[in-house]
Amino acid sequence: MGNDKFVEVKNLKKVYNNGHEAIKDVSFSVKKGDLVCLLGPSGCGKTTILNILAGLLSPTSGDILFDGKSVVKTAPKDRHIGYVFQNYSLYPHMSVLKNVMFPLVVGKNKKPKAEAKKIAEKYMKLAQISDLADQRPHNLSGGQQQRVAIARALVGEPKILLMDEPLSNLDARLRLKIREEIRSLVKEVGITTLFVTHDQEEALSIGDKIILFNDGVIQQDDLGQNFYLKPNNYFVANFVGNPVINNFKVKKDDGKIKAKDFEINVDDLDQDRFKREIPDGDYILSVRPENILPDENGGLPVHVDDIELIGRERILKFEHDGKQARSLVDLEAPIKVGDDIKLKMRLDRIFLFTPDGERVY
Amino acid sequence: MKTNQKKAWLFLAPTIIFVTFFSIYPILRAFVMSFQSGSLINLSWSGLSNYQYLFKDPEFWLAIKNTALYALISVPIGLAISILLAWIIFSKVKHKSFFETTFFMPYVTSTIAIGIVFRYIFNGDYGLLNFVLRCLHLPAPIWIDDPSMSLTTIIIFGIWTSLAFNIVILMGALRNIDPNFYTVADMYGASGAEKFWRITMPELIPTLAFLLTMNIIGAFKVYTSVYALFNGQAGVGNSGTTAVFYIYNKFQIVGTPGVAMAATVVLFLIILFITFLQRKMMKKIGEN
Amino acid sequence: MKRIRWGVVLGYIILVIFAIITVFPFIYMILGGLMSFQETTSIPPTIIPKHFEWGNYAKVFAQAPFARYFFNTFVTASITTIVSLFNSLLGAFAMVNLQFKGKRFIQIILLSLLMVPGEAIIFTNYNTIARMGLLNTYIGLVLPFLTSIFYMYYLQSYFGSISSTIYKAAMIDGASDWEYIWKILVPMSKGGLFTVGLLSFISGWNSFLWPLLVTNEDSMRLLNNGLSAFASDAGSETQLQLAAATLTVLPILILYLIFRKQIIRGVVRNDLKG
Repeated sequence: MGNDKFVEVKNLKKVYNNGHEAIKDVSFSVKKGDLVCLLGPSGCGKTTILNILAGLLSPTSGDILFDGKSVVKTAPKDRHIGYVFQNYSLYPHMSVLKNVMFPLVVGKNKKPKAEAKKIAEKYMKLAQISDLADQRPHNLSGGQQQRVAIARALVGEPKILLMDEPLSNLDARLRLKIREEIRSLVKEVGITTLFVTHDQEEALSIGDKIILFNDGVIQQDDLGQNFYLKPNNYFVANFVGNPVINNFKVKKDDGKIKAKDFEINVDDLDQDRFKREIPDGDYILSVRPENILPDENGGLPVHVDDIELIGRERILKFEHDGKQARSLVDLEAPIKVGDDIKLKMRLDRIFLFTPDGERVY
Repeated sequence: MKTNQKKAWLFLAPTIIFVTFFSIYPILRAFVMSFQSGSLINLSWSGLSNYQYLFKDPEFWLAIKNTALYALISVPIGLAISILLAWIIFSKVKHKSFFETTFFMPYVTSTIAIGIVFRYIFNGDYGLLNFVLRCLHLPAPIWIDDPSMSLTTIIIFGIWTSLAFNIVILMGALRNIDPNFYTVADMYGASGAEKFWRITMPELIPTLAFLLTMNIIGAFKVYTSVYALFNGQAGVGNSGTTAVFYIYNKFQIVGTPGVAMAATVVLFLIILFITFLQRKMMKKIGEN
Repeated sequence: MKRIRWGVVLGYIILVIFAIITVFPFIYMILGGLMSFQETTSIPPTIIPKHFEWGNYAKVFAQAPFARYFFNTFVTASITTIVSLFNSLLGAFAMVNLQFKGKRFIQIILLSLLMVPGEAIIFTNYNTIARMGLLNTYIGLVLPFLTSIFYMYYLQSYFGSISSTIYKAAMIDGASDWEYIWKILVPMSKGGLFTVGLLSFISGWNSFLWPLLVTNEDSMRLLNNGLSAFASDAGSETQLQLAAATLTVLPILILYLIFRKQIIRGVVRNDLKG
């Protein structure tokens, strides 16, 4: 029981002095040893939550428990956590070794220098930076600085590791490489980790589970693939997935769902996927580019305006009802720009949302 | 965090304590004292009588007049020369730091010491300045001992001492101007004068505003340089008396601290007023 | 044949003229201090004395306790520098790194106090010191200057340019505020602190009006006041006055020439934000 909710957040609320409600009512928990990603666009509150977990900010109301004990009134240094900042925040006037040793030589539980050095060296080895011990931070590359930050965060052998967009400042190639290293490192050490990011691909790749935020509220708290297959709402469906999902304005009228250039019978849909009875009216039909494909018998005629090549696939771009939409086909499909083709949707993979974003199918 | 409250006040405590005793309290006390008369140990309320005394005292008006003239003449001239020198150093010559170091020297040295040398150089009979002037068949006034020359001498000295600070600040500001502005101007064949008036000067406006404020405030407080030039006096027969001289005199020598404080309040208000005017003016110029 | 750039030539001429105007008084001071009395009043004026009268300095020391003035000035300038640096450091830290109620209020008050000219409060402070019986004492000389709002403001802007996450990192690493200040903040701010210390020392060294009010015993006088008293006592012995002036100016000039980069940088940096 304790391990299931090793980190627990209860009804967290944060309102700033100027009235801005950064976090509205957030509750979630993290299993011991898990790597959980806090995902969301800028301003959604994810970093605010991380800072509250760290004790750098006080919540307006709500509770935080580490291993069953409330820490919401505890100072950061007594919470026994490690924190990796987006800009690494290495102490510029100290060598790498001194940086990593720092948490061990300050505070209440100071260790003697020799012992601290040994522990620091152990974690530097783990982070693969042993050869940089005497360097100053400004001499290091972004990736190296990042590893130093991680080593420093782990050296105090904390129970929880918090990471605030640690990969944002790295170039794309490096980002892919290091995120895997981070995952294997924290798993090896066995530390419960919360990892903030705005990159949905990153979250899907390394998170044991993902919590998606928007506007200070949790949109979905789930395993990665469920964001794809079972999004809670319109926001989630649009945030996760690359290329972005296609959205079509439709109207349910009697037994038909009508869009500008196509029509679907309600009876053709998978009735088990309906969340509830839906009355006639306006809706949004969303379908991922990989689920709307060229087909001779397709019900949606489109004109291919442009084709974008993304490595192993191509994106066909077309217009419907004034908006651009996409279909993801493979490299060898015999379609050219300017062609008029027909598209067919996989009806068991489409979603239907009310105009407020609630998912009904 | 709530604990920050206590910590913060702890760290600020020494500053707050000293500031309260030696900055806030004196201001309040000076203000109150300006409405009192008698000696320091025996003060009694006397309403506006000190202020009335001030406005009838010719010595006060002389002090204000001298101080105002000093400020309004020496500051613009000093600033103009500083701009010229800073601009030349910045744009025309190599060895920038050599000149910067040279011109900044007066700022760090004692005004009294420099005053002594100036007093010597400006000596009417055997001073170097008059010797050179006479060689060039130019008029050689009695700078120090002639009461009518007192203010002029003070102004010259004031300009000389103001160059240091101004030049260094201006150099810093000039360095901060994006060099690409000039590169673009060169591409369009702009002349040196055009670059100066159309690029440099507008970019310098905030710095100039700052320097004007600092200089004017400093000029209104002039004391030490006058003391130095005239060996403790405010010019022969008090011809060079300034506001602070007046205040000091009333406080220490005549023993009417109430009057001195009233003069202090008036001085402070004048400074406030002029600073306000000057800032408004600069804002207007900045908007053009 | 390179074309002569008249603009540059003219510029150099103007600069050199003004440079001479700036530096000449110092040179003249030094040379004058080594002249004999006749040479100082000769017409045409002497620039370089025939013999260097080092004896002038001996006479200066004999007539007035310049060594004592030196000592007094050194002590008071050092004390005010060290203590005000310490206080400004702590205060600036609190203003930059800590969140607390009333911060804005304090900021406004301090900022407005910056605008008050020292001369407005100097006389009341004299009164306070007198009433505390501290005239003619070192304590009386330094007491009002043990904090400097100006330097605190300067350090605030200096500290403010350090990323705020460094403090947060130290907090999470377990450092107390005191440990943060001395192990991280101060080492990172060496440049700014040094500049403030230097400027503070120089201004303390050159102070005049306050010591004039607060000391009248010769043994407690500071250099500037001792110098001006000497100048009026020495009457017409200009060569002695100039020697004494040189004595006052030389240590600072040497300090200046060694640390000129730091000093100039400090002055520029703190005023650019103005």
